[in-house]
Amino acid sequence: MADVIWCKKVVGGKPCETVNYLDPYCFWNWEGKTNCAECGTVYYIHMIQGHMYRGPDEKPGEKPDLSPLYADKPLEGYRNYYPGVKGRTRPYECLPRHIYLGKADMVKFSIRGKPVRGWRPQPPSAGLAGQFPYKWDIKKLSPEVWAEYQEKKKKGEVKEW
Amino acid sequence: MAKDPRETRIEDLPGPKSKGELEEMKMPYEEYCRKAFDPGNEWAKPEALKGVRWLSCTMYIFTPHSAANLAELGADVIKIEIPRMGDAMRHTSPFNEAYLYPLHDTRPMTGTGFGFTNANSNETFLSMDYHIPEMVDVFYQLVKMSDGLTELYRPGTFDRWKMSYRYLQEINPRFIYVWGGGFGYGPKVFGGSYDILGQAHAGLASITGMHEYMGGHCTKHSNWCIDWMSGTLISYGVLASIHWRRKTGLGTMIEFSQVQTPSRISGYTFPLYGRFGIVRQRWGNWDTQLCVHGIILCGKSDFPDAQNPQDKHDARYVMVSAFNDPDFKELCDITGLKDLYGGYKAHKERADARPQVEIYTALEKWAADKTRTQVVKILTDAGILAAPVMNDREVYECEHYRERGTIRWLDDPLYGDILLQSGHSVGMMTKTPRRTNWIWRPVGADNVKVYRDLLGIPLSKIEEWYNKAWI
Amino acid sequence: MANEKREVEIKSRADTLPLMSPEVRPWPITPPPPPEEVMKVYEKRKAGEFGKWCEDNLRFEKGFGKAEALQGFKVLDIGLWRMGHKFASSLLGEAGAEVICIEPPGGDPMRKLTPFGREEYMLADKETGEKCGLDFISEMVNKHSVTLNIETEEGQELFKKLAKHADVIVDGHLPGYMDNLGVGYRQISRINPRAVYCWVGVRGSWGPYKDRVSKHGQWELEPFAQCTNSFVHNTGFPQDQLPRGKGGDPTRSGLWINDYCAGEQAGVNILAALYWRDQFSGEGQFIEVTGAESYFDILDFDLSWYGFNASIKARTGGWDPNLNQYEWNPCRDGYMMIGGQSDRLWYRIGMCIERDYPQFGRLIHEDPFLKEVGARNALHALIKTYTLTTRWLRDINRVEAEEKLMDYEIAAGPVLYTDEVAEFPHFKYRPWVYTCETDYGTILYPTPPNAFQIKTPHRVKWMGRALGKDNNEVYQRYAGLGPTKVDELQEKGVI
Repeated sequence: MADVIWCKKVVGGKPCETVNYLDPYCFWNWEGKTNCAECGTVYYIHMIQGHMYRGPDEKPGEKPDLSPLYADKPLEGYRNYYPGVKGRTRPYECLPRHIYLGKADMVKFSIRGKPVRGWRPQPPSAGLAGQFPYKWDIKKLSPEVWAEYQEKKKKGEVKEW
Repeated sequence: MAKDPRETRIEDLPGPKSKGELEEMKMPYEEYCRKAFDPGNEWAKPEALKGVRWLSCTMYIFTPHSAANLAELGADVIKIEIPRMGDAMRHTSPFNEAYLYPLHDTRPMTGTGFGFTNANSNETFLSMDYHIPEMVDVFYQLVKMSDGLTELYRPGTFDRWKMSYRYLQEINPRFIYVWGGGFGYGPKVFGGSYDILGQAHAGLASITGMHEYMGGHCTKHSNWCIDWMSGTLISYGVLASIHWRRKTGLGTMIEFSQVQTPSRISGYTFPLYGRFGIVRQRWGNWDTQLCVHGIILCGKSDFPDAQNPQDKHDARYVMVSAFNDPDFKELCDITGLKDLYGGYKAHKERADARPQVEIYTALEKWAADKTRTQVVKILTDAGILAAPVMNDREVYECEHYRERGTIRWLDDPLYGDILLQSGHSVGMMTKTPRRTNWIWRPVGADNVKVYRDLLGIPLSKIEEWYNKAWI
Repeated sequence: MANEKREVEIKSRADTLPLMSPEVRPWPITPPPPPEEVMKVYEKRKAGEFGKWCEDNLRFEKGFGKAEALQGFKVLDIGLWRMGHKFASSLLGEAGAEVICIEPPGGDPMRKLTPFGREEYMLADKETGEKCGLDFISEMVNKHSVTLNIETEEGQELFKKLAKHADVIVDGHLPGYMDNLGVGYRQISRINPRAVYCWVGVRGSWGPYKDRVSKHGQWELEPFAQCTNSFVHNTGFPQDQLPRGKGGDPTRSGLWINDYCAGEQAGVNILAALYWRDQFSGEGQFIEVTGAESYFDILDFDLSWYGFNASIKARTGGWDPNLNQYEWNPCRDGYMMIGGQSDRLWYRIGMCIERDYPQFGRLIHEDPFLKEVGARNALHALIKTYTLTTRWLRDINRVEAEEKLMDYEIAAGPVLYTDEVAEFPHFKYRPWVYTCETDYGTILYPTPPNAFQIKTPHRVKWMGRALGKDNNEVYQRYAGLGPTKVDELQEKGVI
């Protein structure tokens, strides 16, 4: 097995059964120690052109050089570890924001504080054959957002740029 | 001329003909440009492609963009999508995080991803299932009323439906028909295509990124550049054909393969291979023909305490350019690298590969204890060209683009406050400027507008078709 | 022939050059597939008749005899150093316009540029013996060359005479340079109100961050545009995949790509302006296109995204943050690109890979998170998918991967190097690279993507032009100067 380490280490009488994904660009040619995100077992591997030239060999008591970015557990409904779970997966630095969601961000206001229709659910359309009204009648369709917008304006949170 | 030759009239003199014109001629150039282009007031001027109607039977970015260019220039573009699901691009969103949510009929929780933005501006959105024979007749009606279409289906598909140029030219000899795809006739005719395939297949990837010995791999251009650029080349081909049609009254068919676009813009790459058998390699952040003309890494970030990781970790790169001899000398003086200057006084010498490695390594060493801003300032103060490698926030905040209106906020009629980066940015025109009125509309959002208001189909019929999912 | 043995002694790189010339090593090395073979491909999907119709009507080789779309339009191209204005006028020339490229008597400095400063890669004009760089030759398409010293008064008068005949003037000089000399749009529009005048540059001819020159007069060139519009910041491998300073950095395009982007949008805007002139108004206008800004259009939605929730696009190397699958990853002999995002394609890719590597099917298709199209774009979903895909790729080379994926009708292709591109069967068959017999000898060049048309295909007729080769003809025809006068002006340094 290579590129993933399917950890079978018996922990507490049960095999660990965690798949640790060794992302291709980072590990394509790599030698060192990595860890299982679930049980923490440290493995030595030496990969050449994506092939496991040596390992994975358990290295009890040693510290990993580099953790995987992601791991999941197929036997438990694919319970998973995102990047950056302390002590389990390595953080992913090069992100667009300081937070990572991996799911839709519900946005009601743009960065300058004006309403933008970036949240769900929205009311159903009333048009024939999908025909759309031309204007977003925010006052009628989303009165609570409109009210919030008025508040923001009063507080000076709405800017030109 | 005035009747009395002794009379001097302003319009007979060479030069400006009125006081207004005189002032215009006297204005400093920049002020004149500002006034002539007048960003923000595009709507006070006419649209260049007034009266052109185009059908966009497209998906993704490449072919849609070919029609969006026309729509920004004032053509009426009807975008035709598969009922319900629509363009596949509606389901693309960066890391699954950014969506807009229109009103809905069927799928309240599914938004439209930001990937769909900018490729279909100003268009009218129609839904139609061409598989249904009854709809092909409706399609023909649209063809009779239009100047042309762009489609992207697998070669032979529109032909099977009797909607290819072979058939349409009989209905409308003025029709300009564009097929846009990956390969076109030939052995890989049925190969599907994407932007990234063009980047890979046509050699662009092989010459972009760090060289292997620098630790790099073939690097993807961050954006769907070959999609967008190929789309624009189609728009160019279409406009040229429209000029020819003005003379002859005849349309044409264009078969456009995006995979060849990256080759076309690769400069010396193919001539060099053809003549000398030399296969161009990646040369990272430096330039193969000019030195110094590259990007260097500085030791310190400009914003070590910023919250956003892009500001925090990556505000460290500077573009430095001093390839002419006096500039190179200046650069060596200011950075204390006088030995370098002595070794490579002639551009020919410093542009070679090994000297480039040596020079950039020395420059990065010099910049190792400095921030990006410090490096830019030192060099700019010395009269050398340098610029920070800017991120999206910095571009947004850059006064230059704001003043020129190439980045601006749009009060989108359906989605509200959208920061706009396309349309106005692709060229200013003093008399028929491009403009963006809205970013896009939902699938079938203009069904009644087109089926009834344009084709005269009764509402009851439209409803029937909709219920059968034909539209 | 390739099989013949030859006595060759190679002591230096210079000794290899004659061995590589097209006479010794003609292109293509192997012939393209014969049309009969390709007909079988069309037949496979019952498109035989349509395929034949396409070949009969669209074939590249038939293009040279067909009409030219922009016949009769006259274009002046004046500028230095950059590709933007050059590409714009090349496009006009490929579509049949008459393009006159105006250079200073010393020539455009781009004529002297050559990879790594190596003069042996420059080509000599057969008549004059003058050497020219390949980048310049490659964008000197269907253009005439005249010389003119626009900084002299007589030069300016001469330029005005030429401008009277022009439908289009493409200006690739520094901000306000032409205006300052009294031959910019403001002045030219007085003598030729029908002219469309288009300035092409890096960031602008006006505004607080307009194109700059150094203290010593050096121009700002690409890749400055890509650096100052966020493209470079967004391109390259993240430091999480490769160490910073060793491949994990923001990365410029291998090309001066923003120049090309500006050039093609200049072409579009120019043709639209001509349409408006000819159809409606009779008036020309002033256009300004810049590399940095026209490329905003191509930065997908990145700035809109910042306006949405303050996300700053981060680089993602060979992957794309918006689609899955849509990437290239390493394989046995290079890199393999795979794309297919809709459910239909996603599962087909899975079926293809799981034939060799069953675990892929299990780990990918079972995972509930990966069942929804949009959700698959999440970063952790990319990591998982591409790790397993590469696990499959490591055992096969590019050709094998392509064959396997094509069986499942997946858009897939190898990352090819230039020599491989030039020999790729489809490229040779179309042809997408082709040879042109120029004044500089035979040149292998990439064909224009608009070359495949029924009525007015675009085409390359010649490439490169000796400096001032067309002085006599152009000045005779458009300024009434006979050869004696042209010689005289040449001696005075005006031409």
